[in-house]
Amino acid sequence: MGKWWGVMLEEYLPALVHVVVGIGFAVVALLTNFLLGRAGARSKAKDTPYECGMLPAIEEQPRFSVKFYLVAMLFILFDIEVVFMYPWAVVFREYLEREGVLIFWSMMGFIGILLVAFLYALRKGAMEWSR
Amino acid sequence: MNPILLEAVLVCYAFLLLLVEAFNSRMPRRYFGWAAVVGTTVVFFMTFFVDSSKMNPEAGYYGFYAADTLAILFKRFILLVSVCVLIMAIEFAPVLVRYLPVEKPDAGSGEMYSLVLFACAGMMWMASAQNFVMIFVSVELVTITFYVMVAMMRGNRASLEAGIKFLILGAIATSLNVYGIAWIFGTLGTTELPEIGAILQSIDSSLFPSLLFGFGLIFAGISFKVAAFPFQFWVPDVYQGAPTPVTAFLSVGSKASAFVVLMRVLESMLSNSELSSKILFMLSLVAGVTILMGNLSAIPQTNFKRLLAYSSIAHAGYLLMGAASIVSGNSGPAIAYYLMAYLISNMLAFGVLLVVGKSTGSDELVHFNGLGKKSPWLATALTLAVLSLAGLPFTVGFFGKFFIFSSALQAQQFILVGIGILGIGCGFYYYLKVIRAMFWLPASKEQSISSPIEISKPYAVMLILLSISLIIFGVYPEPIFNLIP
Repeated sequence: MGKWWGVMLEEYLPALVHVVVGIGFAVVALLTNFLLGRAGARSKAKDTPYECGMLPAIEEQPRFSVKFYLVAMLFILFDIEVVFMYPWAVVFREYLEREGVLIFWSMMGFIGILLVAFLYALRKGAMEWSR
Repeated sequence: MNPILLEAVLVCYAFLLLLVEAFNSRMPRRYFGWAAVVGTTVVFFMTFFVDSSKMNPEAGYYGFYAADTLAILFKRFILLVSVCVLIMAIEFAPVLVRYLPVEKPDAGSGEMYSLVLFACAGMMWMASAQNFVMIFVSVELVTITFYVMVAMMRGNRASLEAGIKFLILGAIATSLNVYGIAWIFGTLGTTELPEIGAILQSIDSSLFPSLLFGFGLIFAGISFKVAAFPFQFWVPDVYQGAPTPVTAFLSVGSKASAFVVLMRVLESMLSNSELSSKILFMLSLVAGVTILMGNLSAIPQTNFKRLLAYSSIAHAGYLLMGAASIVSGNSGPAIAYYLMAYLISNMLAFGVLLVVGKSTGSDELVHFNGLGKKSPWLATALTLAVLSLAGLPFTVGFFGKFFIFSSALQAQQFILVGIGILGIGCGFYYYLKVIRAMFWLPASKEQSISSPIEISKPYAVMLILLSISLIIFGVYPEPIFNLIP
């Protein structure tokens, strides 16, 4: 296997330790619970998600409107647009001399595509939230 | 003309259609379909005027985008597939609209045509991609478009189920792909395929584990797209649930463009002989199992669409067999020819399936009973299609199989050839089952009353052209073979 694995292991040793400690903690916690508590004793009360406090009253997951996802998706869409534009704007001046035209029109193309998407969403009533 | 204009024109045109569709609610939706057909045809003829020397080496896309003869050939191929799919989508629109929960009878079917154009542009980019970043982005464009198209009939449970399955499994395949790209980039420090090929020629063998791991992951992502063995589970359900034109597009277009990517990746990875023997062994293994798996599972199918899905897995196996015998030197042209043959025969099969399914409301094989009496022309076309898929001489499918097998023999892949022959034997059984249903089995009572299946004129012209080319290229394969580099 040679040197390659050695370098790899050395660099990632902290991550490996982290993983081992994480798994080890979970195993130890579960084992102590199992050994010190009354092993295997299960009752209806014990199997509820919360052993103390009020009973969970709702049987299943509540349904909520699919519009939530629509709004969330549109939000991400335009949020990401700005995320892309920030670094672009920061380096724009630096690259202005060499590749100004290229990077300007690249961003314009990107915004143009998003504009089409925005117009489409607007026209199809994605923004009429009360409907 | 600069080759990058092809995709740019197509995408801009798709945007235009999308916006016109959104702002004009009165125009009948099938006009958009015909507009898309015209646009795709125009781009198809534009491919004859491209000049790759116009590409500016200084521009940012250079090194990402190849416009060699292979790329142009596959761009034409994909444009032809898209034209067929668009014509099928126009014919299918009444069925699609039935499953859309919308107020106006026509609304909601217009997006399909723009989506086909987007997927087509993505596949064209895949054909040109020679950088892992470009490969990833174009594959994602195609896959995400397909997520929408597969679940297009959102009032239909099967379509929704297909959509969810495709989405989840597709996301897994994507993540495997990216992880593989990250490993290769981490090992070699580049994502450009020609550069990777150059580096690999003189590389220390201690880097092989990470390279093979990376390639394996990328190959897993590609296997998902071509429906090869360990990643074929989604195929039957998704093919069955998706709208028929989308299924045809998935089976032909998606597979073909993924094979171009595979060929390009292989070309760069095989420049190291020690590495290539390991990769080719993996490829032959996957090819053999895929052929067996696809053909054997197709035998008991009673739903024609599902049968075509398993046959699509089997064909992916034959194509991989060609890829595994790449050392013979002429497996590239063999794969290209096979894909052309697959385009013609599979489009014809799906074309007939679409109209039969539309008139009977089901894709079950039982509904093909007595089709020979009811609509003899459709039955003839389907007979030609399945015979070509089975690989009978004097059909285009025969030459496809012939070239693949001869290149496999040259590469001395004798076990693989044996498995392939076994697979073809199974293939004859289940393909001829369709012919038996059409000509021998009597139609059930409620079916025998119904009149011959009506199809629109342009659709009939498409079916006739496909049938004619199926026979002509089956007797005289020269013209297609000359196109292939």
